[in-house]
Amino acid sequence: MAIKSWMYSVLEAVQHEMREDPAMTWIFELTPPVASNPGKPVINLETEFGRKRVVNTGIDESWMASAVIGAGLAGSKSATYIPYQGACMPFQVIQNVAGKLRHKTGGRAAVPVVWIIEMTGQTPGFGGQHSCYEEDSYYMHIPGVRTVVPSTPYDAKGMMHAALRSPDPVVYLYPAGLRTLTEEVPDEAYEVPLDKAAVRMEGSDLTIVSSGAGMPGVLEAAERLTGEGASVEVIDLRALNQMDTETIVNSVAKTKRLLTVDQSYYTLCPGAEVIARAVENVDGVRVKRVAFPDAPPPASPEMFLWMRPGPDNIVEAARALL
Amino acid sequence: MARDTTHPPQQTEDRPASTSRRGFLQLAAATGAAISVGRSAKALTDLPYPAGDLTDEKLVDMYRTILRIRWHERTQADEMLSNPDYRGYNHFYAGQEAVATGVCANLRNSGPRNQLDLVYSSHRPSGHAIAKGVDIPKMVAEMDFRATGMNGGYGAEMHIADPDVGFAGADGMIGPAPVIASGSAFAFRARGSDQVAVVFAGDGNYAAPHFHSTLNNAKILDLPLIYVCENNLYHQYAHYSLSCPHEDIATAAAAYGIPAVTVDGQNVVEVYNVAKEAVDRARAGGGPTFIEAKTYRYYNHWGAPGATAGELGAFGYDPLAITHFRPEKEVRAWMQRDPVDIARRILVEWGIVDAARAAEIEEEVKAEIAAAFEWGLSQPFCTPEDGLKHVFAEGTVPARQFG
Repeated sequence: MAIKSWMYSVLEAVQHEMREDPAMTWIFELTPPVASNPGKPVINLETEFGRKRVVNTGIDESWMASAVIGAGLAGSKSATYIPYQGACMPFQVIQNVAGKLRHKTGGRAAVPVVWIIEMTGQTPGFGGQHSCYEEDSYYMHIPGVRTVVPSTPYDAKGMMHAALRSPDPVVYLYPAGLRTLTEEVPDEAYEVPLDKAAVRMEGSDLTIVSSGAGMPGVLEAAERLTGEGASVEVIDLRALNQMDTETIVNSVAKTKRLLTVDQSYYTLCPGAEVIARAVENVDGVRVKRVAFPDAPPPASPEMFLWMRPGPDNIVEAARALL
Repeated sequence: MARDTTHPPQQTEDRPASTSRRGFLQLAAATGAAISVGRSAKALTDLPYPAGDLTDEKLVDMYRTILRIRWHERTQADEMLSNPDYRGYNHFYAGQEAVATGVCANLRNSGPRNQLDLVYSSHRPSGHAIAKGVDIPKMVAEMDFRATGMNGGYGAEMHIADPDVGFAGADGMIGPAPVIASGSAFAFRARGSDQVAVVFAGDGNYAAPHFHSTLNNAKILDLPLIYVCENNLYHQYAHYSLSCPHEDIATAAAAYGIPAVTVDGQNVVEVYNVAKEAVDRARAGGGPTFIEAKTYRYYNHWGAPGATAGELGAFGYDPLAITHFRPEKEVRAWMQRDPVDIARRILVEWGIVDAARAAEIEEEVKAEIAAAFEWGLSQPFCTPEDGLKHVFAEGTVPARQFG
């Protein structure tokens, strides 16, 4: 147990699984699988496991995404780290090959593959292609692929273990804006399930549901609302597909008020699915949806920071529901 | 004709300015002899090379363009390093100026939009933009997110674009730009235009499938496309040998049956000449050309880590450079063959301007760039609500961040 950074926690899980399974491979471009943490040994997958198993390709996300499928079909567990610049280049093979493989072969073939899809850090000033946050909506729509998005270093490690051990293909979204988070993370291997939401705060007046990079703002807003006397329940989705309907419905049945918060675009944001499941199952629910407008992120910090949902927006929207 | 090579023409003090150079070059062509030049000149410029169709005016223009790029970069680096209010950034192009300049000097950069040659830029765009003729003050304003910038503050450095000069723009992604450029070339050919499309892409683009798709289709369809591969040795922080088995990336292009050349990217005249041949061929319906310019960037991949205000280049540790660390001696070795120095020496040694006039031109450019920054950084910031505009041709999209 030690205070660990996000990436150190994740690579600890990968290192463990690669030590357990000498056939497992890791493919990356540009960003080497290296992490350091105060008081801990440096993790460097490339030097530890060698360049036959840990491969630095050119800038070619198409190959990376497809090669892990082929490795999986050949019987080797395989993972690849796709940086945000190429986050949707793998889409076609994940959607049309990996997601359909088990079903179309009548259950006879499957790929135990993990695509770590980095999302941007939403840095103000980086503009349309380097500040966006939209991959959650795209990848959660694919049947047959588990799409998850952790929001804490603890979950990031536990869900990486679970993803690498899963018999199903997993899109493991990594919101890079959370890279600076640190917390107590166990040294040993453990799993966080790929299909369970987490209740981060319990309350009875209002349910706020978010995920990934939306979570820090939601937790800040929830603290402020609590200070104002509101009783707020906060749910971190973690699993986008399959979504944990039960946790959502149980909470909303209690609060009858639901606010969803997404950094993704409004149309088809994860919150849209949350609201649909809630109102399908609970009568008399009042809902609101906070999301990024249906516009690419502009470079200007004045425009971008106004458009990106933050704690102030969440508090205001919550007050309107309470 | 015999020529006394112990007294090379460059050192003849009483020769008339440019006619002497022409005579010298004609002589060289006629004799086919190896020409020796002053030792220092040879070290820097690797003379000889043909002057092609270059007029004195064009040579001076190219020198001025190189200086504009260089001083834009240096001024911006200094802003990043010493002005806490400055918010812009760049993937600096310094060191590679001769490539953009030599290529774009062959292109149609003004006139009606449907007659312009198109330039697709890379992830290192400011040099290409200046060489294509964008309005520098407006680009400066854009890079600092100003409402009156070239793209209204929506794009900033990674997405600068100016259709009025045929600058199709920068791309934040590695891969797609060459394929898209080939689509423009396809349209030019389909409508019988003599326009050409040029794409600048780095060595990192080689590994992407788009590289191969671009060249294959450009050849099969005989497209008027010039693919300029700026091989500066590193994509981000990774040496190109990690992703390309060829020492010359042009070797791969040749496999597609496309004329492929390598050129010294530090020498603007050499770049101009190979680009001229490529552009002439494309305009005449002769199809695509691949040019690999061997070059180097003086700064790190992004921003100004390792740089010092008032000094050119970045040295030492870059915290982002995990894959490869560029040794300082490598940077300094490349700086010995500086495109600004080489362009200046060409002008002076060919007698087009003297050293004093060359220095004067540099001072003029510095003043021009200083004025561009003064104007650009005095422009208004953007209005937050304007972020909802320009999603579609008309109207605005609704705000959704308030629930």
